[in-house]
Amino acid sequence: MNRTGRTAAAFAAAACLALAACTGPASMEPPVVDVPTPLPDGVNFSPDASPADADTSCDPLSSYSPGSVTAEQARALLEDPEQISIGISQSTNLMGYRDPETNELAGFDIDIATAMVQAVMGDATKVRWVPMNSADREQALADGRVDMVVRTMSITCERWENVEFSTEYYHAGQRLLVAKDSGIAGLAEMTADQLVCTGASSTSVGNIAAVNPEVQPVTVPDFNDCLVLLQQGTVDGVAIDDTILAGMAVQDPTLQVVGDAFSEEHYGIAFQKGDTDLARFVNGALAAMIADGRWQDSYDEWLAGPLATGPAALTTQYRD
Amino acid sequence: MAVQSPPAPTQAPPAAGPPAPGAAPGRWTDRVAAALRQTPGQLRGVLAVLAVLILGAGVTGMTSILAKSAVIEETTSQSGRLSVAALQLYQALSQADATAASSYLTAGTPSESMNEAYRTALRDATVALATAAGEVEHAEDVELVAQLNARLPVYTGLVESARTFNRLGEPVGATYQEQASTLMRQEMLPSAHTLQENALAQLTESRDGAAAFPWAAAALVIAALGTLVWAQLWLTRKTNRTFNLGLVGATVLLVVFAGWLAMASLASASHTSRSHEEGSRPLELLAQAEIAAQQARAEESLLLIARGEAPEAADRYAEHIEELTSDGGLLDQLDDAFADDPDLAAKIGDARDAATAWSNGHGEVVKLAQEGSYTEAVALAVGDDEASLQTSFNGLNAALTEATETSADRFVDATLDAQRSLQGAAAGLAALSLAALICAAVGIQVRVAEYYA
Repeated sequence: MNRTGRTAAAFAAAACLALAACTGPASMEPPVVDVPTPLPDGVNFSPDASPADADTSCDPLSSYSPGSVTAEQARALLEDPEQISIGISQSTNLMGYRDPETNELAGFDIDIATAMVQAVMGDATKVRWVPMNSADREQALADGRVDMVVRTMSITCERWENVEFSTEYYHAGQRLLVAKDSGIAGLAEMTADQLVCTGASSTSVGNIAAVNPEVQPVTVPDFNDCLVLLQQGTVDGVAIDDTILAGMAVQDPTLQVVGDAFSEEHYGIAFQKGDTDLARFVNGALAAMIADGRWQDSYDEWLAGPLATGPAALTTQYRD
Repeated sequence: MAVQSPPAPTQAPPAAGPPAPGAAPGRWTDRVAAALRQTPGQLRGVLAVLAVLILGAGVTGMTSILAKSAVIEETTSQSGRLSVAALQLYQALSQADATAASSYLTAGTPSESMNEAYRTALRDATVALATAAGEVEHAEDVELVAQLNARLPVYTGLVESARTFNRLGEPVGATYQEQASTLMRQEMLPSAHTLQENALAQLTESRDGAAAFPWAAAALVIAALGTLVWAQLWLTRKTNRTFNLGLVGATVLLVVFAGWLAMASLASASHTSRSHEEGSRPLELLAQAEIAAQQARAEESLLLIARGEAPEAADRYAEHIEELTSDGGLLDQLDDAFADDPDLAAKIGDARDAATAWSNGHGEVVKLAQEGSYTEAVALAVGDDEASLQTSFNGLNAALTEATETSADRFVDATLDAQRSLQGAAAGLAALSLAALICAAVGIQVRVAEYYA
């Protein structure tokens, strides 16, 4: 190599060194990045597990006897006598939801509500459906935004303070949804290293702890996130009301609802406080619906398949 | 200049200093001291001082100009490219989220233009990520880019699951779409935002460096001029001749040198700050406006995807629209920034009209959804029709994009002007200082020669 060549080589080497000193990434340690696990907004991996208190301060399932209230008397209590407003869910599969293919409302709650519209209005189309959150149900009634709420609403003594309830129209309970090949047959079998997902705004964490104090509960604000977490393998089971589990199981053939119900939820139709005549009339319509088999037809259409059991017995009690 | 008070040359003390008794001829300091007692030696001493000052001014002037050019080069290239890539990444990600959420609402049949928009946004995001990965210089930025890189495929996976479940008619698709948006909103967009802010901070730092005045060179050239003037006065006294052409030439050359240095520095500083005022600041505002619009659009779609049962999405929508259209919001700030530019102001006007139409329509969509007219609400929100919110949103987006393009051109022009103002300055200053040095040397040498003639 001649002198010029050596000089050029030395210069190139110096330039490389200079470059290496000022261009960072090549000389930097590879960055440390967490494995990205998508989680829903507001997920809580260590929720408080306070056991649900027994509801003994009243007799929640006793509603008003139908008596001789007429449809006209019931309609007189509506905000708009020509159109009844009903609070429903549009996002609870099989209970109240928009069928993604047709964009129409459908589900068990919607069937019950439609039968009530037919009974009160004499025409099933004279209705305004008002989608709402479960947290918004009592306020919507108090504000008169809706005349009744048919939205997987459990009858409790606390809620009786703010609203009127119909008699029970569905007897639900918390059960467990797991993968078919998981081998889990019930909540009691789950171990301390397994996670079970449930909704945040309910006593469901306490109910789970009462059956199995070992298993780790995880709560999410929107229970639909539980299904996604189960499909993604983040949790091992979902413990919510069977009605909601049915709506999840039907979307994924690799999942199944297992075990017996380990809590009692009695769904009722809610009315504005004081609208007792409307409640009486609806109680009559409900009794008729149960008696003539329309209730059973609806159960069979929506819930019998995914739950793989018959319906739990309804309690129909009147306080007067 | 400072003729009335010529500064004493630094070698003056030895010239007038104490005599060196019994000078040993072998010591060079003694020889210098002896020489400085004679006029020719004094003349050579003056020349040496002048040479140091003129060369010093030339070298510092040239290097400061070269450093400025390098910084301007950097703002248009390196961290310039990083800030551009980070901004593009941020925009592309929020655009992807807005389109993914809207196209979910159109059930099995998202329009070709929506699909295209989603794919384009993802392409832009990945290209911007690759560019950013090549440009980052700090460990924190490297980590941000890596985090975004790790999350993007997870995001697209969730979006595709949502689409598939939606096609199959399973409502769980909506939850996947919400989870995708949560990942984007809570992890990816904040990372992209931080990356962008870091890049802009680095850019501002370089820009401040480029705008600084070259004080060292200025001080040296003033000292050289002072010495020249003093030397001429001194020579006039010694030789009774009024002008020494060489020294006069050197003075003129140095005055030109000083003028050029000052003009080039001030001009490049003003162009650099213009490129900031007229270019990069409005560009940032425009990008923020686009991102606010896209995020509002994503939240609007999420509200409908959640079947009107997501009050948080409604709140977030209101927040983004507020950021955009409120008093003193982004559109107001853009109006101020473009007040004397009718072309750009008109585009912001278009954007405002579209934003107003959109937020009026949004109220209608919410009303329809709350009244249970869900299908109509969705049609109004994402339909193709003239009155749909999709049309207003696209109008808003297009107006902001056009304004961004114009503004980007202005930025490039201003940076080019800054570069042009420095063009030839380094070589010119070097040549001037050399010429001044030669003139001074010739001028003094002519006088020295007279002593030996």
